[in-house]
Amino acid sequence: MKIEGTYTFKVPQQKVWDTFNSVEHLQAALPGCQKLEETEPGKFDVFLKIGISAVKGKYKGKFEIADSQPPNSYKLMGGGKGLPGYVKGEAAISLAQEGEDTILTYDGDVQVGGLLAGIGQRMIGGISKMMLEQFFKNMDKELS
Amino acid sequence: MSGEKKKWVGTSYKRKEDMRLLTGRGTFMDDIMLPNMKHAAILRSPYAHARLLDVDISEALKAPGVIGVVTGEDVKQESKPFPCGVTIPTKYYSCAVDKVRFVGEPVAVVVADNRYLAEDALDLIEVDYEPLEAVVNIEKAIEPGAPVLHENIGSNIYNHRFFKYGTDWDTVCQEADEVVKWKFNFPKYAGSPIETYGVIATYSPYDKAYVVYNNYQGPFVNHALTAMALGIAENKMRWIIPTDVGGGFGCKTGIYPYCALMSIVAKKTGVTVKWIEDRREHLMASATCTDRVTYMEAAVRKDGKILAFKDKAMDTTGGYIRAPEPGCAYRSTGNHTGAYDIRNVDREVYIVATNKGLTAPLRGYGCQELYFSTERITDMAAAKLGMDPAEIRFKNFIQPEQMPYTTATGGYYDVGNYPAAFQKCLDLVEYDKMREYQKKARAEGRLVGIGLASVTDPSVTNIAYVAIGKTVEERKNERDKSGSGEAAIVKVDPLGGITVICSTNPQGQGHETVISQIIADEFGVHPDDVVVDSVVDSSDRLYSITTGSFSSRFASSGTTSIVKAARQCIEKANKIAAHLLKVEVEDIVFEEGKFFAKGKPEKAINLRHIAGAAHWNQSNLPEGMEDAGLFGTSMYTFPTSQPPDDQDRVNSSNTYGFVAEAIVVEIDQETGQVSFLKWASVHDAGTILNPQIVRGQVLGSIVGAIGGSMYEEQAYDENGQCLTASFADYLCPTAMEMPKVDVDHFESPSVLTALGSKGAGEGSSMSVPPAIGNALADALAPLGAVIDELPMTPSKIWHLIDKAKAKTN
Repeated sequence: MKIEGTYTFKVPQQKVWDTFNSVEHLQAALPGCQKLEETEPGKFDVFLKIGISAVKGKYKGKFEIADSQPPNSYKLMGGGKGLPGYVKGEAAISLAQEGEDTILTYDGDVQVGGLLAGIGQRMIGGISKMMLEQFFKNMDKELS
Repeated sequence: MSGEKKKWVGTSYKRKEDMRLLTGRGTFMDDIMLPNMKHAAILRSPYAHARLLDVDISEALKAPGVIGVVTGEDVKQESKPFPCGVTIPTKYYSCAVDKVRFVGEPVAVVVADNRYLAEDALDLIEVDYEPLEAVVNIEKAIEPGAPVLHENIGSNIYNHRFFKYGTDWDTVCQEADEVVKWKFNFPKYAGSPIETYGVIATYSPYDKAYVVYNNYQGPFVNHALTAMALGIAENKMRWIIPTDVGGGFGCKTGIYPYCALMSIVAKKTGVTVKWIEDRREHLMASATCTDRVTYMEAAVRKDGKILAFKDKAMDTTGGYIRAPEPGCAYRSTGNHTGAYDIRNVDREVYIVATNKGLTAPLRGYGCQELYFSTERITDMAAAKLGMDPAEIRFKNFIQPEQMPYTTATGGYYDVGNYPAAFQKCLDLVEYDKMREYQKKARAEGRLVGIGLASVTDPSVTNIAYVAIGKTVEERKNERDKSGSGEAAIVKVDPLGGITVICSTNPQGQGHETVISQIIADEFGVHPDDVVVDSVVDSSDRLYSITTGSFSSRFASSGTTSIVKAARQCIEKANKIAAHLLKVEVEDIVFEEGKFFAKGKPEKAINLRHIAGAAHWNQSNLPEGMEDAGLFGTSMYTFPTSQPPDDQDRVNSSNTYGFVAEAIVVEIDQETGQVSFLKWASVHDAGTILNPQIVRGQVLGSIVGAIGGSMYEEQAYDENGQCLTASFADYLCPTAMEMPKVDVDHFESPSVLTALGSKGAGEGSSMSVPPAIGNALADALAPLGAVIDELPMTPSKIWHLIDKAKAKTN
């Protein structure tokens, strides 16, 4: 499943970059994040608790950041699993300054399995969009 | 005997079951509570194909309320793979042991104080999977290089056989004017009963024995196979099936792995364990029919005579093959040529492993897959020859004067008048008028089609059919298998009350009502006075491995056993009556529940009196009568249930009904939506025991088949992820999708059953998929589009229309 889109932050690119690379800010902004830990540089363990309909449950996952080109782009790869199933995927994230603003572009491919696929597949697109929106809004707060 | 006078049989006597069901007082699995009962939840694989590296239960064991956790390791220790009628070494356990092979396969079971705590603890089990490439497509699964599910088999082929009946194909083809061929795809769909699976298991360490409550439907051969898997004697495992089961449709025959699994869990945890399957589990991992790819060919003469059928059929039973598979491919052996007089058959059969959910004998078992290809190719042959689809059928029907008729593949049809029954269906749908209507509609550019199907409806399988999965040579090393025995006990208590105990446990078919009608006629009593015990308990009911409510057994073999047991009772009652009246037994007349000497009805004694004599004064029984009391028992097996012969011919069922379907459809070109303009369904199920109940069965089999033909499919993505684990995605037809159907009957009473009745529970599930296929094909014929798969959803139809129009423009 493809997940792609853009989000506009009303702050300069370098600041967005720094905040996105801070464990502390990420942990605060990730919806349902119970714990985020950098196990080695660029590699993270994450525990999420999600309460939305078909994907409700606790998830444990790992992700890593690769091809980091500060402050322009990086690749995010990872996956996690919980009782409702598993998620894995990768996404290309890029930042571009536009006047005072920074445009974040994401382009990801996600695979789901288990009940997530059986029950949630049709809804998962919408749910991921919603969670991403929430994440970006939280990041807005972190940036201000 | 009063057996000839039918007062109650044949009437729509009101169902005795309905009051308790409609007032919510049925007794289903989840209503049963036992002391010391705890609750199980099952952890299921999210992967379609993966190696199980580690299952860590340490955190789950510490969770609140958790009593124990059972994993594949325990299951491997406590059981062996289930036996199955194929030659390859199968490795199907009730829980994954080394690999998972379909999404939803059990990986571990948590037992806790309640279901909530058990499910919470599932979250704490850490499973380390090594994901492997999955394969879901039947033909890709048998290509070289495909991911292999079972390393010990070495390929994805569970079973592969060739069959030749009559003259060989190439010779027949020389005689034929046309050979018509096409490839068909049949979908994997389910029965979707209202009540899901449920099991309560207890283990007694003192007797080393299990008691397992469950809502199984038969055949009881799976009881024996479960005992074999658990490595125990069959009598150490008592199965109790409650009074009410909320639908089966074949899928409940697939519950036995859970009976084994919960038995192991009960033994390991030392408590009584209850597990009720939830709807997601059911849709993802219970049982469906097999999906099948068929390369179908028919060799026909110019005059429409079909000389031979040839097919290469490839079924998949999913991640494992389990009993009664490989029956999917062989249950229909005897009726392979359906209602037609076709003497030459050439078959190649594959049963293939794919990373999909498992299968069971779903309503129609194997016949909808078969008839979709044979009836579609028959229509294609008619089209090629410029014949009407009705005409080609009349040309090929077995004629009534040919009865009894033995098919090329070994089926024994005792009675039937297929041309007359088919004509009745054509009359009911007003066939000629509808063809005229179609002509006009086509002239207006509308897509109207008429679809026909005419098939034989086999009931009461002869277990010999499973043996066809092995070659003649392989079978020579084994003991023969055959039979169809079904049990009944009829007993008259000391106060004259009649109780009937059967082993065809009902799942909503109204057996209590029909049994009461039969007994009322036999004994001259009122149906309300008859008590029918619907519980099945393997420890005190008579049963055999062929017992159960499957393969439409009740109306044929169940009723025959009931009548035989009743008549044994009456025969004994006649002797006692003769003794009491001091006349010869030959002079006893039994009428309207009264026994009297010929010509002296004023001196009659009633059944209660005779039962009283048999029970209360046992020293005064007629001379030579050693047994007190009044009862009869029967476990009737049809003499026609013989093992396969050395040419692979087998009478795979025992009674064969007939179904004719005629459906008129119109397709909306803009949306692909299908409307049913007219529908006639004519059935020959022999004697109709209760018209209202049979009507319910006919409509039920039609709505189930509409599901498989137009809406339902257990769908998978290319990674083997099940996409239809809720009713939001798995679409079952509802009352809104049910068209008006004109149902009629053509009764040719079977000479093999006591009352002339034949199975009536499955008929249209076999004939509707091809009839809908033929109707849609006929509607789309002007566009040159072909129907060769199901379910034909509006979007698929819309794409066909779109493609066809693009071609012509």
